[in-house]
Amino acid sequence: MVQAFDARALLPPAADECLHPDGSPREPYSTLLANVAGGDAARLAELQRIAGAWFAERGITFGGSGEAEDQAAIFPFDPLPRILSAGEWTHLERGLAQRAVALDHFVADCYGAQRALRNGVVPASLVYSSTGYLRDVVGAAPPRSTWCHVCGIDVVRIGGDFAVLEDNVRVPSGVAYALMSRAAMADIVPEWLDAAGVRSISEYPRRLLNILQRIAPRPWQADIAVLTPGPFNAAYYEHGLLARGLGAALVEGRDLWVHDDQVYRRGEDGGFIHVDVVYSRVNSEWIDPLVFRSESVLGSPGIIEAWRRGNVALANAPGTGVADDKAIYPYVPAMIRYYLGEDPVLGNVATYDLTDDTQRRHVLAGIDRIVFKPVDASGGYGIHFGRLMSRLERDDMAAQVTARPRDWLAQEEVVLSRAVCVGAGGGLEARCVDLRPFVLLDEQPWIAPGGLTRVAGSPETLVVNSSQGGGSKDTWVLSS
Amino acid sequence: MGPQQLTFAISHRTVLHYSATVHASYNEVRMYPRHRGGQRVLAFALTSAPAAAPRSRVDFYGNVVHRVDVAAPHQLLELTMQSVVAAASPQRHVPEAWSQRTLQRDPNLEFAQSSPRVPLEKATAELLHAWVGSDRSFDALGELARRIPTEFRYVTGATTVDSSIGDLLDGGAGVCQDFTHLFCALARHAGWPARYVSGYLGPKPEEDEVVGESHAWAEVCGSDGRWVGLDPTQGGLADADGAHIRLAVGRDYGDVAPHRGLYFGGASGSPPEVSVRVARMSAQDVIAAHRGGPMERQQQQQQQ
Repeated sequence: MVQAFDARALLPPAADECLHPDGSPREPYSTLLANVAGGDAARLAELQRIAGAWFAERGITFGGSGEAEDQAAIFPFDPLPRILSAGEWTHLERGLAQRAVALDHFVADCYGAQRALRNGVVPASLVYSSTGYLRDVVGAAPPRSTWCHVCGIDVVRIGGDFAVLEDNVRVPSGVAYALMSRAAMADIVPEWLDAAGVRSISEYPRRLLNILQRIAPRPWQADIAVLTPGPFNAAYYEHGLLARGLGAALVEGRDLWVHDDQVYRRGEDGGFIHVDVVYSRVNSEWIDPLVFRSESVLGSPGIIEAWRRGNVALANAPGTGVADDKAIYPYVPAMIRYYLGEDPVLGNVATYDLTDDTQRRHVLAGIDRIVFKPVDASGGYGIHFGRLMSRLERDDMAAQVTARPRDWLAQEEVVLSRAVCVGAGGGLEARCVDLRPFVLLDEQPWIAPGGLTRVAGSPETLVVNSSQGGGSKDTWVLSS
Repeated sequence: MGPQQLTFAISHRTVLHYSATVHASYNEVRMYPRHRGGQRVLAFALTSAPAAAPRSRVDFYGNVVHRVDVAAPHQLLELTMQSVVAAASPQRHVPEAWSQRTLQRDPNLEFAQSSPRVPLEKATAELLHAWVGSDRSFDALGELARRIPTEFRYVTGATTVDSSIGDLLDGGAGVCQDFTHLFCALARHAGWPARYVSGYLGPKPEEDEVVGESHAWAEVCGSDGRWVGLDPTQGGLADADGAHIRLAVGRDYGDVAPHRGLYFGGASGSPPEVSVRVARMSAQDVIAAHRGGPMERQQQQQQQ
């Protein structure tokens, strides 16, 4: 077979999660690599097959991007874990907690006094033009003053350091896949987990339940519902799993009914049950067609007013999208300094605000190194790599970002670190990985040790999004 | 003699017809006249048929919003607002332009940026330049308001409630909603916060009442934070005659639509039937309160 070129040769060199530059294993991986290297390919292929069957049996899917004909696919799972040392985790934990708290302060500020905007910490123009900034939420006071109850913060390793690539504080998904990845490992290779001393993440649903009960208007008898966009949503499997884990009802917008500013759900006997807390997996722009987008059929008319009046708690609170607008991301380190008076523990990837003329000129002069992302898309859709664009495409991109600079974010291309994976036939290969830890915000932030490690679909692929054919690995945080 | 305070009795009726029975409808109504900026609401009633108990809140822009939920089956929903309003006395205040640096950190920046129905685009930026060059003073805004009705024809039916600024520029004709959107775009390009005002025109000095007029115009905000009305349909200051009665304000029509609703049931809706009456009241009238139902005249929801 003739190959025109080796795609990997075009890539800048990447950090390796598992190996030192000299090829020797990094400390947290030494036991694992000693076990699997020397490579019994047949044994690894068998492990991979067993893991695939384990997920298929349970119908653990991700996919069906909203198109009815799209089949939900079994979530591709790699049986070799991604391992973080206790020291690495302590560092990450500090940085993630700090970041989530600052984002929560920012959301509260946007819907309150707007101190950061008046003081020029975050450009008011970006907030006022954000589709995530919901004017009907201004002045609201959510219970316990918490907005971002669940945050998913995407972390990558660049060189030796962790940095944040993206903040997800609307409806971050993926925790169910992290929980199931661990369950699969515990079934398939329990001896690996025991030998390594891996911290458990199984308390996640209980922790989330505690938060949801505490924000309920009547905490002593909170009826909780998980609101899903429905079976066509890519993360529908997760919504069901979390509802079971929380002992909550899984509902769609049409199952809810708002009357006299109270929210009810249809019970199994056809009667109506008062709902105290909605854990919403529907973006808040879609949650109330009366207030926000009238074409939405995903939400329930009147639910926002019920929330404003304190009759129902919503998690995450409506309007958190203002903090995960990609155009706001460059200002998160400044937010941390402003609200917390601390230096950020985790940095950002170098990012440019295209609405600033100087920054835009800089970006367009060195378009090779830049990745363009649409500010209001997620799931890895619409991303353009400057490096891969033809001359014509570059001109087109330059015209687009000049005409509509608010619609795009420009980031220096980062090469994600690679971790060892089982390839086809049981051979070992390195693929790009990132990490999405989940932060739960209450009085004290709590972070499930680990999170979802997403893996690129092939050794050549640079994006890890599940919507782009990526899979996952179990993520281990070692207890010592 | 100082300026006389003008008092008006307003009735505004909206009828929504559904092609079949709907089993519930949820409605947001922005029909409470502004009780701010010198204008005062002396009396107000909002009724619906089928009957519902409206509940109110104040929205982001300071407009009073009534929620009217009808849980009973119905094929027709009638909303009637009646109010007595003391109009603001004419302003004689000439606002100052902003330092753009200050505006960047001011909440009024909200009204100087693109909004869903007032996108700031090349065509309007070029129009601003063609009309006033680089003049960014309040006088330039007055010139824009004067110029719009001479450059564009006022033609009822030339546009719809959903028409864009582009439609006005292309077609050369529109109604006050379109003129106001265009004015807001030009003023924002010029660095002034500009907002959309929905409301009514009172009767002309020689008349006692006016039927069928809902109206829209604009307000711009000076660097002291005070708003001044400009009417790009009439081509001048909005409050010159004290007869611009303000209902709601927002970035554009989308923020102030007098009625917005949803219903459940296999029916299709048709454009609402709207009738408005504004009558001048004497002191005796005000005391005796107003009587009599609204006169019937069909009118589009679009603001003319």
